[in-house]
Amino acid sequence: MILLTYLLLSGLTTGSLYALIALGIVVVNKSTGVINFAHGELFMFSGLLAWTLHVQLGVSYLPSLAIAVVLGFALGVATNLIAFRPIKNADVVSLVLATIGLAFVVRGAARVIWGGKGDYLSFPPITSPDPISFGEIMVIPQQIAVLAGAIVIMLVFAAFFRLTRAGKMMQAAADNAKASKLVGIRVDRIYMLSFGTGAAIAAAAAVLMAPLTLLYPDMGFSFFIKGFAAAVLGGLTSLPGAVLGGFCIGVIEALAGGYINSSFMEVSAFIVIMFVLVVRPTGLLGLKGMRRI
Amino acid sequence: MAVKQGVQLAVISLLASVAIAQTSAAQVPGVTADTIRIGSFGALTGPGYLYGKLPMNGIEAVFDEVNAAGGVNGRKLQLVREDDRCDPAAAIGAVKKLISEDNVFALIGGGCSNATFAARDALDEAKIPLVVMASVHDGITTPVSPTIFSAALTSTIESEAQLLYAISQKAKRIAVISMRDAWGRARYTPLMEAFKKRGITPVADEEMAPDANDATAQVLRLKAANADAVLIVLYPKPAAIFMRDAQKLGYKPLAIGQTGIADPAAFEEQVGSPGATALFRTISMVRYTPEDPAMDKWRKAIETKFSGDRLSVFNLFGIGSAQVMVEALKRAGRDLTREKLVAALNHLTNFPTDVYGAGITCTETDHRCNKAPVWIAKEPGKPVRVLEVTKVE
Repeated sequence: MILLTYLLLSGLTTGSLYALIALGIVVVNKSTGVINFAHGELFMFSGLLAWTLHVQLGVSYLPSLAIAVVLGFALGVATNLIAFRPIKNADVVSLVLATIGLAFVVRGAARVIWGGKGDYLSFPPITSPDPISFGEIMVIPQQIAVLAGAIVIMLVFAAFFRLTRAGKMMQAAADNAKASKLVGIRVDRIYMLSFGTGAAIAAAAAVLMAPLTLLYPDMGFSFFIKGFAAAVLGGLTSLPGAVLGGFCIGVIEALAGGYINSSFMEVSAFIVIMFVLVVRPTGLLGLKGMRRI
Repeated sequence: MAVKQGVQLAVISLLASVAIAQTSAAQVPGVTADTIRIGSFGALTGPGYLYGKLPMNGIEAVFDEVNAAGGVNGRKLQLVREDDRCDPAAAIGAVKKLISEDNVFALIGGGCSNATFAARDALDEAKIPLVVMASVHDGITTPVSPTIFSAALTSTIESEAQLLYAISQKAKRIAVISMRDAWGRARYTPLMEAFKKRGITPVADEEMAPDANDATAQVLRLKAANADAVLIVLYPKPAAIFMRDAQKLGYKPLAIGQTGIADPAAFEEQVGSPGATALFRTISMVRYTPEDPAMDKWRKAIETKFSGDRLSVFNLFGIGSAQVMVEALKRAGRDLTREKLVAALNHLTNFPTDVYGAGITCTETDHRCNKAPVWIAKEPGKPVRVLEVTKVE
């Protein structure tokens, strides 16, 4: 039972980060029909910006998080302006290739700025590094902080989507871009808002994750793959699905590593995804007959 | 008349011999009457600069010292640097440029393993002598390349040393946690062979991905196996995650690393959990820390020549490999050829340098010339200290 508790806690913490990354991918895909392959690099770049603010410039954690989210939003807007808007009428392959190209540019820029400062950059813990005990279970407070932070961000995002005018317009444009145009919604702005919001969520995930791991310019792609897998598992157009997919992948990895073999950790989630997609091609919560706008 | 003719003959003979000597030197690439040009390749830019630029600075410090004392057999040493960015394709290009455009006589180089390994064919084809300064990939020296010698440790030697160290520390239940990518396999496979050779079975054999962000499952499995020593074949990032999670779960084995985690002070900072690295030991290629008084001479040399730099362990890699090259050049004599340099390198026996754990010995059948991994550790709040040297046979 103790083993299961440890593994579940570990899986949920990691899964919450996958869920946030997946959420950003789905937000962009849902409104534009494009997978932003630079999403992992935006995640990485925002994390390193927060490192610069917090570690090098001495800005405290929460303001660093807030500034990184704002800068992440700006990066997302820039992604839209550079890699999407000028070619928005091109075929999907061209749009995807543009984001891949941008990913390499962002990674290269990060290497120039943060490379050569040591192999990996460490972000100091925001809570006491000493574990605390709940009965027989030892927990790092940082893990709880990450899990709680991720849940708060998801709730804020859900409220934004459901309660704000901008969020409702994003939903409308995602549902039917042409009809949205007819009722006066400026779809180009909605696309920009989607890229910005997706990247802002990625930035929040990066800053939450930073104290639990180490930062380096090449870290983006591996996180993107996990987030993308979570998005696919949940259904590429479903926001709750992205969250569910992220948690599922985190927990499956942890349980496979603990109960089967640590060699299975990396592949287990993908085996489950293949199975789910065979049985339910739209993902766990994906809509049937996915529509590309 | 006869005297005059004799003087003329002597002058002509002298001029002819000088001309012949100069012609002979000119025919040897990179060698003139008063200089020897040595090339170096490694990362000068990007995160891999630690294994490229910094050792090269060490080489240059040695060359300055040698040149100030009159050079090698009357010739001053010149260093030509090329950036390979730790990239295999760039390493091949750098080596070819050094050989065909810069016309160097020999090389001291190789920072990143995969890049140096990729350049091996080009090096073999050119038959140019190379003393490896930092790359540990076995494939660089095994099977033996006639002209490539390693002053760095190799992954097989490190893997063997990890097991020997665990045994020497009276560990009874030894486990392994490793990455299984190309880097990890180059160490994991010889490590398993070392276990087999000694009739030992690891009590647990766990895997971690290079980008892992959690090691709870691995730690729980190792703890369940009751392993009292864990041989770590991981990059610093997953190793830091592993040590942090081990601390979290109250698991405190003897943790035995390798040169992939070469800086215990930086590693302690990366783990970021007080006391988590108290039982962490790792391998260094050199027997001194940069702060050791024995390194005062080199500290002064590096910090004077490269203003703003502080002596680092990576400078010492260059110093050691340059001393090996200089000794071989001396032994090769004034009438220098690449064949004579290779012969001299092949006969280095227990040659003492200022930095390595033991003397350097190369033979015609084994060009892994450094077989003395040095164990280092850092206790919380204290500087890095050298523990002991393991001599691998």
